[in-house]
Amino acid sequence: MNQTEKIDVITAEGVTKVYDADGIPVNALNGVDLTIQAGEFTAIVGPSGSGKTTFLNIISGLDAPTEGKVSLAGKVISEMSGNELSDYRRDNIGFIFQAYNLIPVLTVEENVEYIMLLAGVPKAERHKRVIDILKVVGLEGVEDRLPTQLSGGQQQRVAIARAMVSEPTIILADEPTANLDSKTGADLLEMMRKLNTETGMTYLFSTHDPLVMERAKRLITLRDGLVESDEARE
Amino acid sequence: MMLKIAFRNIFRQKRRTILTALAMIVGFTLSSIVIGLSDGAYSNVIEMFTGNRIGHIQVHRAGYHDKPSIYKTISNYESIGKMIQNEDGVEAWTPRIYTGGLGSVDERSTAVRIIGIDVARENIATNFNKKVIEGNTLSETALHEVVIGEKLAKTLAATLGSKIVLFSQAADGSIANDEYTIVGIADSGDDITNRVACYLHIDDVQELFVLEGRVHEIVVIVSNINKVERISNAITERLHDTSLEVLPWYQVVKSFYDAMQKDKQGDAVARFIIVFIVAIGVLNTVLMSVMERTREYGVLKAVGTKPIQVFWLVIYEVVIITMGSIVIGAMLGVFFNYLLSVYGVSYAEGFTLAGVEFGKMYAEVNVACLLVPATTVFVSAVVVSLFPAIKAARIMPARAMRIH
Ligand SMILES: Nc1ncnc2c1ncn2[C@@H]1O[C@H](COP(=O)(O)OP(=O)(O)O)[C@@H](O)[C@H]1O
Ligand SMILES: [Mg+2]
Repeated sequence: MNQTEKIDVITAEGVTKVYDADGIPVNALNGVDLTIQAGEFTAIVGPSGSGKTTFLNIISGLDAPTEGKVSLAGKVISEMSGNELSDYRRDNIGFIFQAYNLIPVLTVEENVEYIMLLAGVPKAERHKRVIDILKVVGLEGVEDRLPTQLSGGQQQRVAIARAMVSEPTIILADEPTANLDSKTGADLLEMMRKLNTETGMTYLFSTHDPLVMERAKRLITLRDGLVESDEARE
Repeated sequence: MMLKIAFRNIFRQKRRTILTALAMIVGFTLSSIVIGLSDGAYSNVIEMFTGNRIGHIQVHRAGYHDKPSIYKTISNYESIGKMIQNEDGVEAWTPRIYTGGLGSVDERSTAVRIIGIDVARENIATNFNKKVIEGNTLSETALHEVVIGEKLAKTLAATLGSKIVLFSQAADGSIANDEYTIVGIADSGDDITNRVACYLHIDDVQELFVLEGRVHEIVVIVSNINKVERISNAITERLHDTSLEVLPWYQVVKSFYDAMQKDKQGDAVARFIIVFIVAIGVLNTVLMSVMERTREYGVLKAVGTKPIQVFWLVIYEVVIITMGSIVIGAMLGVFFNYLLSVYGVSYAEGFTLAGVEFGKMYAEVNVACLLVPATTVFVSAVVVSLFPAIKAARIMPARAMRIH
């Protein structure tokens, strides 16, 4: 993909989020304006509680903002129906969560092919793509295991494979390395960085892990629900 | 597709599946047994009341039931009996004559009810021979023999071999008066009959009362009491004679039937309570199993599962487990009800209803004991899962997945 095209994947304008914590309002986001463009490899950093998870949830439609507008590839999320949003997520967003969040009753292969099943990809192609992507993330031969039979690092690799297998426009990763040892974390980051360069897939991380920050091409710092700094790297 | 995931969930989460299914199976089996027992008890009461006594259907001269009279007779009863016997579902028929009179043994006298029976037919239809508790039953030919009720024997201080003189007025107005030998003493199972009954051979009664070739009643026994209404209508049609009345048992003993229907209404309340308890049990387990998986549904939605698909996933799982539970519960229900229909359970205390004694309760395997629990379990499971299914479908993934 040509990085000079500058296609806006995500645009957030004046996004605020007020949580209701047992009657006490918590201001998680206080007016965030951000644009993420195709091909980026960007990290949102900030101390715990600065609103990183909240921001990722809102830009992917997993949660609704209190105020403000979020557009995904030019479409305003709040104007999408539940089904449209589901389809949009299925086709355009790959998720990697801090807690892996694999479906416990499904095997590795079933977890990875799940989104393709939803999208109606034929069985033979599903299988081929699962095998290919598991090779990419370095997980050959564990297709038939259940998530509980894998280490944390292996589970996160499955989660990465699941996020990438349908070739989404953007991958959102919420502290993907937080539960991993630094060696495993570094390996996975190298792998994603490589995929970013080779395929142009857009990555947006939230993290406070220096490993991620070092490798990010753009670093956005959140503090108290506001963008404190936004710098290009390299 | 969601069906496939539903199956995987069910088979890979065995503990949860077994727990949910267990609640349903236990509920199903319990309510099945309760229904089987209570229906069995009713059938038992009805059978005791009808089978061995009044029969399932009675045929009389029209008006006899409301106002019995020695003159309201059926004359061609043999041919009528044959026509009835030809009806589908009819097992047996037997003719009877009823009159009253005075019975005397030596110095003692009392009012008696004279019942003329066709001995051979009565044995087949109502097990008359089994009611004779002392001495012998009547001979199949008319020999001036009589079998009297247990209490009547006491009243008259009669013993086997005593002579009883019956005194009354015959159908032609003449005096009916003759002497008979007591050959047996009967317990008919009901108090009033035991006090007054004198069973005679039908030919003897016809002779005594000048009623040659005529009877008052034809008792019909059917093979399945639940088909009484249909068979009774069919007989009416076949006989095609408006001078006859064809009455199913519940019209013959209307007051008893009405009392029983009332009692059944009380029973319906008890059933409803059981059904309700089962429904609550199912509700609880289904709700728990859905709630503890909020996070999983959140993930499914986060990666692009449509709300409606999540909805169906929850419903499918519940329906599959419910179906399985119903099949197992039905087998257990039939098994236990069958055992209880053979061996029965004793009542805490025996009771007497309309002169009939009951000491044991037998279950019955019928459609209701499967259909009612099946409907209960299925409907409550599905209704109960609707709420969590909708909740799961509308879940905000971010909230569902939040770690504390
Ligand atoms: N569902 C929620 N209810 C109430 N408060 C919440 C909720 N989610 C997040 N918060 C609060 O919002 C703030 C931002 O949280 P979060 O987005 O998780 O931060 P980060 O991911 O940067 O650690 C924190 O103060 C957190 O306690
Ligand atoms: Mg967070």
